[in-house]
Amino acid sequence: MGDLLSWLFSFFLLVAVLGTILYQLMCLADLEYDYVNPYDSASRINRGVLPEFALQGALCFLHLVTGHWLMFLICLPYLYYNIKVYIDRCHLVDVTEIFNQLPWEKKIRLYKLGYLVMLLAFSIVWMVWSIVDDE
Amino acid sequence: MGTEYPNSPAIPSRPASPFSVPQSSTPFKSSGPVVGPEASAFRHAPPSSSQITPPSSSYGSMVGTEASAFRTIPSGMPNGAARPPPTSGFPNMPPAAGPYQHFPAPQFSSIAQVPPPRTSLAGQPVLWPPVRPVSGSFSTSPVSLNPTQPPPVQMGSPPQSGSMVQPDPVAPRSPIDSQFSAARATMQLSSPTAGSVYPVARPSFQSSFPGYISQQTTAGAQAQPRQSLAFHPKPGGYVPPMPAASSPYFAQQGGYAAPPSVASQLGHPREQIRHPGSTHPMAVMQGLVEDFSSFSIGSVPGSFDSGLDSKVLPRPLEGDLERNTLSEMFPLNCSSRYLRLTTSGIPNSQSLASRWHLPLGAVVCPLAEAPNGEEVPVVNFAQTGIIRCKRCRTYVNPYVTFTDGGRKWRCNSCALLNDVPGEYFAHLDASGRRIDLDQRPELTKGSVEFIAPTDYMVRPPMPPLYFFLIDVSAVRSGMLEVVAQTIKSCLDNLLGFSRTQIGFITYDSTLHFYNMKSSLNQPQMMVMSDLDDVFIPLPDDLVVNLSESRTVVDAFLDSFPSMFQENTNVESAFGPALRAAFMVMSQLGGKLLIFQHSLPSLGVGRLRLRGDDIRVYGTDKEHILRIPEDPFYKQMAADFTKNQVAVNVYGFSDKYTDLATLGTLAKYTGGQVYYYPSFQAAVHKDKLCHELARDITRETAWESVMRIRCGKGVRFTTYHGNFMLRSTDLIALPAVDCDKAYAMQLSLEETLLTSQTVYFQVALLYTSSSGERRIRVHTAAAPVVADLGEMYRMADTGAIISLFTRLAIEKTLTSKLEEARKSVQLRIVKALREYRNLHAVQHRLGGRMIYPESLKCLPLYGLAICKSIALRGGYANAQPDERCAAGYTMMALPVKKMLKLLYPQLIRIDEYLLKKTSLAEDSKDKGIWKGLPLAAGSLDPQGLYLYDDGFRFVLWFGSMLSPDRVKNLLGENFAADYSKVSLRELDNEISRNLMGLLNKYRESDSSYYQLSYLVRQGEKPREGYFLLTNLIEDPVGGANGYLDWIMQLHRQVQQNA
Repeated sequence: MGDLLSWLFSFFLLVAVLGTILYQLMCLADLEYDYVNPYDSASRINRGVLPEFALQGALCFLHLVTGHWLMFLICLPYLYYNIKVYIDRCHLVDVTEIFNQLPWEKKIRLYKLGYLVMLLAFSIVWMVWSIVDDE
Repeated sequence: MGTEYPNSPAIPSRPASPFSVPQSSTPFKSSGPVVGPEASAFRHAPPSSSQITPPSSSYGSMVGTEASAFRTIPSGMPNGAARPPPTSGFPNMPPAAGPYQHFPAPQFSSIAQVPPPRTSLAGQPVLWPPVRPVSGSFSTSPVSLNPTQPPPVQMGSPPQSGSMVQPDPVAPRSPIDSQFSAARATMQLSSPTAGSVYPVARPSFQSSFPGYISQQTTAGAQAQPRQSLAFHPKPGGYVPPMPAASSPYFAQQGGYAAPPSVASQLGHPREQIRHPGSTHPMAVMQGLVEDFSSFSIGSVPGSFDSGLDSKVLPRPLEGDLERNTLSEMFPLNCSSRYLRLTTSGIPNSQSLASRWHLPLGAVVCPLAEAPNGEEVPVVNFAQTGIIRCKRCRTYVNPYVTFTDGGRKWRCNSCALLNDVPGEYFAHLDASGRRIDLDQRPELTKGSVEFIAPTDYMVRPPMPPLYFFLIDVSAVRSGMLEVVAQTIKSCLDNLLGFSRTQIGFITYDSTLHFYNMKSSLNQPQMMVMSDLDDVFIPLPDDLVVNLSESRTVVDAFLDSFPSMFQENTNVESAFGPALRAAFMVMSQLGGKLLIFQHSLPSLGVGRLRLRGDDIRVYGTDKEHILRIPEDPFYKQMAADFTKNQVAVNVYGFSDKYTDLATLGTLAKYTGGQVYYYPSFQAAVHKDKLCHELARDITRETAWESVMRIRCGKGVRFTTYHGNFMLRSTDLIALPAVDCDKAYAMQLSLEETLLTSQTVYFQVALLYTSSSGERRIRVHTAAAPVVADLGEMYRMADTGAIISLFTRLAIEKTLTSKLEEARKSVQLRIVKALREYRNLHAVQHRLGGRMIYPESLKCLPLYGLAICKSIALRGGYANAQPDERCAAGYTMMALPVKKMLKLLYPQLIRIDEYLLKKTSLAEDSKDKGIWKGLPLAAGSLDPQGLYLYDDGFRFVLWFGSMLSPDRVKNLLGENFAADYSKVSLRELDNEISRNLMGLLNKYRESDSSYYQLSYLVRQGEKPREGYFLLTNLIEDPVGGANGYLDWIMQLHRQVQQNA
C-alpha cells in the first residue's frame, strides 16, 4: 500500500512539473505571436522556472527515498541539466534577449515536455503494476 | 565628346577594335532606361529581334549594369600592352581586369545625370540626321521612348541584342543560363551603365583613336569594317550640325546608331551579311569575358615567392565604393543612406538562399543626415488619415498602383485592393497615373515623413528630456569642468525650445539630488546616504523645464565642479544612483547621460575587478568578460526602454570600469557608449566637448519604434544593433539619431517566391523634438532573382561587412575571440568557394583566386574585422574596456563610418602642406587625397602622414622629415616627447594648412571628434600603439597580413572546391 501511495504522490508531482513546463511554453508561444509583451512574458516564465526545478528535484528525491531506482536514474539527467543551468545562472530567461533566445528556450522546453511525458507513461505503468502486485 | 567627334579622321585604325555589334545595342539601351521607353512603341520598332530577349525582364536591367562593367575589358584590349599579360588561358580576362572594372560603378551616377530623359530627347533630333542614313529604325524607337515606362519593359525592346546573339549558334538563349543571359542582358538593359563605360574607357584610347572611334573600340575586338565605313561619312559630313554641346552620350548614340541589328531589320543587305560573321566571335567573347574578377595565385616553380604581388590586391582606397544599381533600377527607392541591402537580388528560393553564405539582410539608418536639398518631405494627412494597406499595414508609397479610375489602390506588398478615401481621391490620366502626382511626395519619393494623428500616440508627445547622472567621486581629471562647461554652452541649443526638461543627480558614496525649482536662486542640494532603499526626496523639481529654471541650472553648472573638486570620497554608488534616475525619469522618458569615472563599488549593482584575469583568455569562460556580470543592469536596461529612457554611457577611467556591464545600459536602450581611456582634460577636452555637444544637440527622435515590413514570403528574423525588441519585429528605440544604424537579417518563409519584386518598408514612428508625432517611411524595392550569380553581382560589400561585424561582435559575447574571427573567415571562404564553383565549370580557373567584382574588398574588410579593436588578438592586444567600448560603438555605426573604421584612410600630407594654394581649391582636387594601402610599406620616412579612422587622427612624422618642417608644425618643443605635445595653430603657412586640413576632415564627418595623436617614426611604444597595430595589411602580432590572408583564404577556397 505504501508503494502505491508513493507512486501516486510521484505521479502528482510529475503532473505538476508538466504543468509548469506547459505554462512556460504557453507564455513563449504568446510572446511569439505578440499577444503579450516581453516584460510580462519574461516575468511569467521566470516565475515558473524555480517551482519547476524544485518540483523536479522533489520528484527525484522521492524516487530515491522510496527506492524506485530505475525511475530515479531516468530522472537524473533532467535534474543534472537543471542544476547545471542554475549554477551557470542562465536558468531565467533574459527579457532583453528574449526574442533571440526564443527558439532555443522553446526547444528546450519541448524536449523537457517529451521527457516528462515519457516519465509519466513509466509512472503510470509502474503504478498499475504496484496495484496489481498488491492484490 | 562632341569635340572629339570631329577628330574621327583616325577612324581608319578602327578595324583593330570594332565590336560594333554590342555597341550598337548599348546606345539603344542607354536611351532606354533613361527615357523609359513605352513598351508598345518600343516593341513595334524591333519586332524581329525582340523574340530572343529573355522573358525575365524584371531583373535584366541590373544584370545589365553589372555586365556592362565587364565589357570594359574588351575595350581595354587594344592597349592591352599596358597591362600585365594574362596568365591563364583567358585571353580577355587579364589578371589586371580588376582595375578596369572599377570604372563603371562610380560612373553610373554621373551618367545618370548626363542624359536626363527629356534633354536627351531634345538633343536627339539634332543627331538624327546623321544617324538616319545608317539605320532608320533607331530613330523611331528613341522617339517613342516614354519617360514613365518602368525599366523592366526594356527587356523586350533591345532588338540589337537579339539580333546580335541570334546568329551565334553557341550562345544559349535560355534566360536561365547565367553567363550568357547576363551578358546579353547587359546589352539590353544597361543603357546608362553602358553609356558610362564608354567615356571612361575612352581616355585610354584617346591618343590613338580619338573621340568617336574609341567608343567603337570599346565595343569589342571584332571589327566590322562595313559598319565603320558606314559611319565615316557621318563624322565628317555631319559634324557641323552636331551641336558642340552635345554630350559624350549623344556622340555615342550617334556612333552606335548603326546597330547591325537595326540595320538588318531595315534590310540593309550589306550589314546583314556581315553580321553573322562578326557576331559570332563577339558572342563568344562575351561568354568569356566573365563577370568575375580574379588574380593569379600560382607560385613560380622553384621559388618561394607566392607569385602574388600585393599591389594588385583590391583595396577600398577611395572609401566606400557604393554601387547604385538598385537605385537605377528602381529610381523611386529611398536613398541608400537609409537602407542598404546586402544584396539587391533577393533569392527566389530557400535553396538558393542557402547557397548564399553571406548574410542576407539590410542595414537601416532611419534618420541618416541628408545633404541639403534632399531632406525628407513631410506629408500631413490630417484630413484623410494615413493611407495604409488594410491587410499588411504598408504605408502608401511610390510603388502602389491606382486603378478603377483612381478609386482603388493596389498594395504593392500584398496586392490587396484598398479603397482610396474620398479626400485622397484624384483622377487618373491616360497612362494610369494620378493627375496630382506632382503634389504627392509620398507617391514620388522613397522617403517621406507623415505627421501622425492621435491614433499613433499612447500619451501626449513627450518633451525632450535630458538627465545627467554624474560620478563625482575623487575626480581629478578635469572631467567635471569640461562636462559642466559643455552642457552650459549647449543649453541654448538643446532641442525642443521651451519644452526641454533637464535634471541632474551626482553621486559618490551618497546620492545628491538637486532641486532646481524656478523660484529658487540657487539649486538646493539634497544628500541621500541610504543606498539600500532609494527614494525620491521631492516629487517634482528634480527635472525642471529648462527655460523656466534657466538661471538655477546655470548656477548649478557653474558651481558644481568646484563643489566636488576637493572630494576625497573614492566610492561610487552607481547602482542606487541609476535607480534614482530611473524613478525620476520614468514618468516622462528621455535621455540619460551617465558620466562614470570608476568601477561601481557600493549598493546594488556593484561590480568587481574581473577584466584583468589573463588566465581566462583562451578558455571557454573568456566570453564572460564581455557580457554583463550583474543581471541588475540588464533588468535596468529593460526597464529604461520600457519607460522610453535612452542611456548614453561616458566612461573616463584609466582603470577597469567594467564597460561590458555598464554598456548594456546603452545597448538595450538604443544608446551609445563613449569611452575616453585615461581622460585628461588637457588632452581630451575637445573630444569630449564636441561629442557631448553633438550628443545633446543633434536632432533626436524620441520614444520611437521601428518596424521593417517586407513583401510576402520574406521575413526579417534577427536584428542586430543597440535596441530592444518589443515584439518579434518591432524595435523599441527610446531615442534615435542620425548616427545610429540597425542591421537585420531576413529569411524566406516560402520555399519558392513567385513575385518578381520584393518591397521593403522601414517605418519609424517617433516624437520629434518639436513635439510632433511623426512616421518616417522609407520604401525600397528589390528584384527577385533566380540565379546565384546575380546575387553576387548585386551584392553590397558595405552592408555585408556591416552585418558581418555585428554578427562577429555578437559572437564574441558567447564564445572566444578566436572563434568569432574564425566564423568571419569561414563565411568568406564559403562564399568565395560557392562563387568559384559557379564558374569553375565553364572556365579554367587554375590557380586563380576569383571573386565577384562587387565583393572585391570583402576579404580585406574581413581581415579588418578580425583586426578591429573589438576582435583583435587576445588579452594583450586590447584592454577589456576598450574592446567592449569598441564593440558597443560598432554595433551602432552606419555603414560608411563602419567601413572607414575598418579600413581607415592613410594619406600623405607633407607635400600638400607646402603648397601655397588655398584650401578651397585643393579640396576640389580629389587626386591628392587618394588613400594609401594600410601597410608600413606605404610610409616614407621623409613624409608626414595622416591616418584617419573617423574616430581619431594619427599624424605620423617620418624620421627623415626635415626638422624645419616639424618645427613649423609643432613649435619650439618639436623635439620633445610627442605624447606631451599638442597640436595647435602656429603662425605659419604649413601649420595653418595642416589645421585647416584637419578641420575640414572633421567637418566632413562630425559624428565623432577626431583627436590628433602625434607619432614619430620609431617612437616606442606610441608608434606601435597608435599606428603600426592599425596597419591592417601588415602581419602584426601573429595575425595575418593581407597577402597571407588572401593566400589562406585561397587555399581554403580550393579545398573541397
